[in-house]
Amino acid sequence: MTGYVIRRLAILPLTLFIVSFFTFAIARYGPGDPVTVAAGQVRDPEVLERIREERGLNGTIFEQYQRWAVRALEGDFGESFIQQGYSVRELVVPKMIVSAQLNVLSIIFVFVIGVPLGMLAAWFQGKWIDPFIISTLLFLSAIPVLVILPPIQWLLAVRFHIIPVGGWGGLIDIFWIGGVIAVPIPNPHLYLPLIVLTVPGFSGVARLVRITALQVSREDYVRTARAKGLTEATVALRHVLPNAMLPLVTAIGLSLAGIVEGSYFTETLLGIPGIGAFTFESVRSRDYDVILATTLIVAVFFIVMNLLTDLAYARIDPRVRLGASNVS
Amino acid sequence: MTTVAPASDLHSPAAAAASRGAVALFWERLRKKKLAMMSLVVIVLIYGGGILAPVIAPYSYTQQNIDQALQGPSRAHPLGTDRLGRDMLSRSLYSARTTLVVSVAVLVSGSLLIGNGLGLIAGYRGGWVDNMIMRVGEIFSSLPGLPMLILVNAALSPRVDEFAKWAARLPGGGGVVHDFASYSSIFAALSLFFWVGTARYVRSLVLQLRERDFILAAQALGASTPRILVRHLLPNIAFIVVLQLSATLGSVAGTEVALTWFGVGVQPPTPSFGAMIYDGSGTRTFQAYPHLLLVPGLFVSSLLFAFALLGDAVNDVIRDR
Amino acid sequence: MTGQKRILAALLGALAVLVLIIGGLSAVLLLSGGPKGGGSNTATSGGTVDTKPASGRLRLPGTDPLTLDPALATDSGSAEYIVEIFSGLMTIAPDLKIVPDLAESYQVSDDGKTFTFKLRDNAVFHDGRSVEASDVKCSFERAASRTTASPTAPVYLNDIIGANDMMTGRAQNISGIEVVDKKTVKITIDAPKPYFIAKLTYTTAMVVDCKQAQQNPRNWTRSPNGTGPYRLTDWRVGERIVLESNPKYYLGAPKVSQVLYQFTGGSALTRFENNELDIASISVNDIDRVRDKNSALGKLYQTSTDFTISYIAFNAKNAPFDDANVRRAFGLAIDRSKVTSVTFNNMISPATGILPPQLPGFTPDDKSLKFNPDAAKAALAASKYKNAAGLPPITMTEIGGGASAGLDTQAYIEQWKQVLGVTVQVKQQDTASFFEDQQKGRLQMFNAGWVMDYPDPEDVLDLKFYSKSTLNDIGYSNPDVDRILEQARIERDPGKRLAQYQDVEKRLINDGAWLPLYFGGTHQVVNASVKGWFNPPMVIPRLRYISVDR
Repeated sequence: MTGYVIRRLAILPLTLFIVSFFTFAIARYGPGDPVTVAAGQVRDPEVLERIREERGLNGTIFEQYQRWAVRALEGDFGESFIQQGYSVRELVVPKMIVSAQLNVLSIIFVFVIGVPLGMLAAWFQGKWIDPFIISTLLFLSAIPVLVILPPIQWLLAVRFHIIPVGGWGGLIDIFWIGGVIAVPIPNPHLYLPLIVLTVPGFSGVARLVRITALQVSREDYVRTARAKGLTEATVALRHVLPNAMLPLVTAIGLSLAGIVEGSYFTETLLGIPGIGAFTFESVRSRDYDVILATTLIVAVFFIVMNLLTDLAYARIDPRVRLGASNVS
Repeated sequence: MTTVAPASDLHSPAAAAASRGAVALFWERLRKKKLAMMSLVVIVLIYGGGILAPVIAPYSYTQQNIDQALQGPSRAHPLGTDRLGRDMLSRSLYSARTTLVVSVAVLVSGSLLIGNGLGLIAGYRGGWVDNMIMRVGEIFSSLPGLPMLILVNAALSPRVDEFAKWAARLPGGGGVVHDFASYSSIFAALSLFFWVGTARYVRSLVLQLRERDFILAAQALGASTPRILVRHLLPNIAFIVVLQLSATLGSVAGTEVALTWFGVGVQPPTPSFGAMIYDGSGTRTFQAYPHLLLVPGLFVSSLLFAFALLGDAVNDVIRDR
Repeated sequence: MTGQKRILAALLGALAVLVLIIGGLSAVLLLSGGPKGGGSNTATSGGTVDTKPASGRLRLPGTDPLTLDPALATDSGSAEYIVEIFSGLMTIAPDLKIVPDLAESYQVSDDGKTFTFKLRDNAVFHDGRSVEASDVKCSFERAASRTTASPTAPVYLNDIIGANDMMTGRAQNISGIEVVDKKTVKITIDAPKPYFIAKLTYTTAMVVDCKQAQQNPRNWTRSPNGTGPYRLTDWRVGERIVLESNPKYYLGAPKVSQVLYQFTGGSALTRFENNELDIASISVNDIDRVRDKNSALGKLYQTSTDFTISYIAFNAKNAPFDDANVRRAFGLAIDRSKVTSVTFNNMISPATGILPPQLPGFTPDDKSLKFNPDAAKAALAASKYKNAAGLPPITMTEIGGGASAGLDTQAYIEQWKQVLGVTVQVKQQDTASFFEDQQKGRLQMFNAGWVMDYPDPEDVLDLKFYSKSTLNDIGYSNPDVDRILEQARIERDPGKRLAQYQDVEKRLINDGAWLPLYFGGTHQVVNASVKGWFNPPMVIPRLRYISVDR
């Protein structure tokens, strides 16, 4: 097992090289560059060429990559071409923290609500409740965020003024009772993004739990447990649920990638200063170094999560042979 | 990757040879699922409307009548009109057509050709070939989907434009050929990311098949690798792969809508649900003219919902075999 | 599995989840080191600001400036903050007159080439240091230096003798700027150009604290030591900017003591209605509600015009637009007033020419090509392509901000099809690709806009249409136009000079060089407690004319 981990980690640098070079090349290969975007109405080719030289955008793509890689290895991911005078790190980190807060919360909600719903559906297998739960959840996840957000915004924010239209105010807000007693409450800016981030996620988790639970409940030891005369509830909680955890770990591991990736639509539509909306803006303005940094962070995170998930999986289920070809 | 990864199941299904009998059996079982049948009807209706759009649409999708802009439903325009006075029903039908073309093309090029091919090779050859294909797949799935799609699309589009112009000059070119050629950058970009899921799935099926007697027999008789892949393995998994893939059509459709909404997908004036939703989104727009968002939103949501239900049922049937 | 193993499995599962979450969070937090190379750290500093309505506090919607360095800014979004924080020798007053600012007065020599500026005695930087002639010289030289790599200096400072030598690295300073004494500076330009004084109002010519800029060349703009009426006290990228009034300002401290620009939060109008903002722009969806004079919002509604013009441009070097008749035919075939009235609900008005209202040289009569299907067909028939079938494929390119940008474009494409029988393909590009193609002259036909940088017709007509101008991205070349433009550059009789530009404008329109589409406009609602709010047609310092009393 240690050997497997080492082998997987050993190819990480190679993977990172491929990911970074691919991103580097594809971003520069397309038409347009950040200097033209930042220069706006000013288009004197000589001036732009001079600025490119000044900002290290001259030379072949390999020379440019080399320059970038040397600096990146020293921990310097460069400076934004668009938000001039700001290092990539300064811009990216606060936005990642915002996205991480939001996404960790939403992942917790997805699983805390999705798992019981899936267990419930499995429990009622064969009755109308099972398909009802599953299809309701499927319906909720079928509506694109782009479609559902404006009506919710209109209803809750414009029509009834319950919550703010958008924006971000951190996790906790202070509610003053009589101007004396401070009560910490969840920030009202959280509700809207949490709704649209969690609700579509229920169906995936619930379906997974349901299927696994059904499969597990056919296993011998569950039958034995039933035969021992334990109540159905005890069987479900003590025997079925823990074993249904296995695929859940994979699901959780994979969904965690969203923490560093952010959510493009929700953040863009709601004006949340997160990494998703920012990545999208950077791609549009060809802010090379920002694109590279966010891509690399997401890729590293994804690969490490994959590895951790595999390991956790092997730990829980000894039947899984790591590195063997029968793991799909 | 939530926006582009196909909703492939986390379980490795037990694979088995699918004969004609299996097809009939599968259909027999699926037919008993009422929800699945209803979904199929919805999909057929929407996609059928798309295919027949030139015949059944009451207006052309470009026909404008500025004097009748932003009207609600009426007898002349059952679903109302947009800001340029174009008929929403006709535009929706043509958008369904666009969605159909894009999803089928991505499925064929990305999933069936690349994904299937690489999956077969990886599963059958094993060893370093397998390792390499799977690592490359991991790299692709580790890249953040949407930004990469935009970059790839931007990088490809100048070449695609030239290709489209060239295609339009061919004898018999023009309209359709040009349109199709100008879509090809979005096909290519999507295919680049959609093959991974299929390849993994096909590989897992092949792994279960390759130790089977008929394959071992073919090997013993000295059949070449391509021959074994194409003549022996492919027919045995084709049916189940196609089924599995049709269940992921919804996510391709959803991605097309999303990409177009971000302005990097299908180009105007070709109608697309993404563009229509973009027109109608915004709290204020929704308040003033809800039909601009609700009409395309309803089409897309029903389509995606139907695909989700159908995919769920198909997975159930495959698993129960 | 035995019971023990099950419990272990459950525990491990829970543990894995916890580890993953904590690991993810700490990875993010670990990444957050301080910025390299010191400098104040406004970008990541915490804390919140009071956003409640109060006297002397103005709450505006805004967006992040791309830079606060006056020499680097090219966009009006950045300029809006820069003109409040910095100031230059000259500025533009609310009535659009060009008036001395840091300079108390100036004199022009008889040959029109030498300008002598006398600086105000009480002009000081935010830190209290007096502004001297050497600061002016040093600021100009900083903007022109190769290390600053200013994209705007070659446009705004190139008239000064020696500026070009410095920008190309042939000289270490600008020979045409002379420090006469502590408070007097003399600038010599290469020809008697009346519009030079207008160029000095642009941000490139503003005075900066050179010492501060040299000590921290990349980060100094996070707490810039300017000379303007406001000081930057807080800037959190993507969230807000806070400006506070400068008590040492040479024309007296401004009345609004704190200006809060908020960058997040969704629909500005909704937030205006919730009393979270004092100003909000009106979108086309709300305009009817706001135009109703009896509604609550209707009483707060203000509208004004901008120095912006949107247009369709043709590449005169590219078939079929190498023939002026084709360009004219395209212009005569579109009905702009219908599009502005229906699609834009009259929020913008059809352009009557190239020069927008309030700009010197603007005339209210309609000089544009008027919608006339018969004339359009005749123009096409008179071209060397004869008819629609003779035209090569035509593609019109525009910036696609989203999937559906260009409703008006779609309307025009339909009209060209109906009137001329010409099918025009539309292509949307992202900003970066569009600029690149436009600059390289690769676009056959495109939809774009121009924002005036200073109130002089030269800023659009000479820059965009003079055949040798680097900004001429349509390959337009007309010897007559070139000749008149050259004359107007050095014409010292203002009336005669404007007449020359009006002549050029007419020629350009009749030649179909551009199809002027619309003049831009601003539609806003303004909180009743905000007094003296106005929307200038271009970016000028304005906050010090405003007061907020609640």
